[in-house]
Amino acid sequence: MQKTTFSYVTYIRSTPEKLWQALTTPGFNRQFFFGATQESAWKQGAAWRLMIPDGRVADSGEILEIDPPRRLVLKWRNEFMPELRAEGYSRMTLKIEKHGASVKLAILHEMDKPGSKLIEAVSEGWPPILSSLKSLLETGESLEETRRWPEGT
Amino acid sequence: MKKPKLVYTTFIRSTPKKTWDAISKPEFTRRYWGGMANVSDWKKGSKWEHHNPENEVWITGKVVESIPAKRLVLTWADPDDLKDKSRVTFEIEPMQDMVCLTVTHDRFQAGSKMVGKVSWGWPRVLSSLKTFLETGKGLNIFCRG
Repeated sequence: MQKTTFSYVTYIRSTPEKLWQALTTPGFNRQFFFGATQESAWKQGAAWRLMIPDGRVADSGEILEIDPPRRLVLKWRNEFMPELRAEGYSRMTLKIEKHGASVKLAILHEMDKPGSKLIEAVSEGWPPILSSLKSLLETGESLEETRRWPEGT
Repeated sequence: MKKPKLVYTTFIRSTPKKTWDAISKPEFTRRYWGGMANVSDWKKGSKWEHHNPENEVWITGKVVESIPAKRLVLTWADPDDLKDKSRVTFEIEPMQDMVCLTVTHDRFQAGSKMVGKVSWGWPRVLSSLKTFLETGKGLNIFCRG
């Protein structure tokens, strides 16, 4: 079956542990995830949610695999845009590898259907989010644009 | 089958001018692009070359379009395999206190050996470029493991 995928790789001057912490801790999340935070017990089978600062749920799903600080696989469905929600669950795989004095972070977001609007939407979202995460870890400051949820969405 | 097209977008806390200079001036590229240099006068129609630290030509091509601080389009080929030509487009867009840099590598020849090499290389080079512009020091991008 034809899939829609988005993949992104970035190299960050950091450690796998610090990167994992930034990815899974709300205090860090809101600085680079457009103000949003993730809620989860971070265990296999646990529920997972991405919360918009105003209290709405942006996306929700479940932790399919977790191996800190190396690997995370989420079942991921949009919750706040009906057209995207109707597509059902996507799968997001995040891999962290040590790369010399840096870390390699690879994201693969997949939907088991052609022409997915959800994958189109996350393709716009991941580059600024991951760019900002890299800035945060390397300079102590995330990118201004990614600290607030975009108005009217 | 669909023709391969690589697109990589990164957001950098910098200005369009600094980002342009970091791509086009050897004294900067050497500091984040694994010691490599991009050499040209960057005028439309001019030749450009990508040199390794020993000044050997690794990639060669022509400048197809050049709008400083905004847009640069190059042809791209290994000098030992000039038929395997492809195209690279750099687009720099200012956004508040940062820039959005998009690099598109496309128009690969059928069976191109370049696709694999550059899909390995661009995320490394552009991650290091961002680090260089934001911290003054690039990443050691060609290290293994």
